[in-house]
Amino acid sequence: MNLENDLRRALHRESPAPGFAGRVIQRIERDERPARPVWWRAAAASVTLAAILGGYAVHEAAERRRGERAREEVLRAMSIASEKVRIARQEVRQIGSH
Amino acid sequence: MTAIMPTAVDLPAALTRAQSGDHDAFAEVIEQHEAMVYSLAYHFFNDRGRAEEIAQDVFLQLYRNLGTIESDAHLLFWLRQVTTRRCIDVTRRSRMKAVSLDDAGELRAAEKKHDALLDRRLKTFIEQLPDIQRAVVTLRYQEDLDPSDICRIVQLPVNTVKSHLHRALQSLRRKLGEHP
Repeated sequence: MNLENDLRRALHRESPAPGFAGRVIQRIERDERPARPVWWRAAAASVTLAAILGGYAVHEAAERRRGERAREEVLRAMSIASEKVRIARQEVRQIGSH
Repeated sequence: MTAIMPTAVDLPAALTRAQSGDHDAFAEVIEQHEAMVYSLAYHFFNDRGRAEEIAQDVFLQLYRNLGTIESDAHLLFWLRQVTTRRCIDVTRRSRMKAVSLDDAGELRAAEKKHDALLDRRLKTFIEQLPDIQRAVVTLRYQEDLDPSDICRIVQLPVNTVKSHLHRALQSLRRKLGEHP
């Protein structure tokens, strides 16, 4: 057995999987894609913040309207109830006067 | 024997175009040298996935340093040196798991005269060598480089390279003898 010849055979050059150069070029192009500038990130952050605040304001306004509607309904119900009590008292008084 | 020292002549057309940012030209340069770079890493790690990863990293590094390449011979020297260094660095950082002797035992049971099996055994035993010996053996027998060429790539005195090579061969002979 000749170890040196065996080593030359065992360590012959082999090719990587097909498309190797393409994979390297893809990585280069990905690395070269320009990073978005700072102003772009600031603008994106502002839009996001505006959307969050806007959503919160809309939600608050809807909540306030719902609260006001509920309050009006309670007042109307109390007013109806009080009118009914007044009519009932009046009828009781009329019966009593007879 | 391939000349490996940089000389300021013979800059191939593809390399010149690649230096001016032509990706197709750089792909040509890769295709010309991918087998050499990939095989250095593959024979060092005996792992195709890791070899692909390292070879890709080496070519990315080459792309970033294209302006410093002066000739085809310089390119060859640069690729061999960077690939070898990267393999050694990766091994030192991760201390990769060596193939266990149980695997070698399985190999022992198989037909010993079969070339493919002998190749597998040699690759397994090479993988178990210390990293610098692995690099020296791969450069010597894959790239057919003399110790005087290898010493420039691994940046060690030529006698140290010869000594690593001698010890690596002794170790491989011993292992092949222990697991005939």
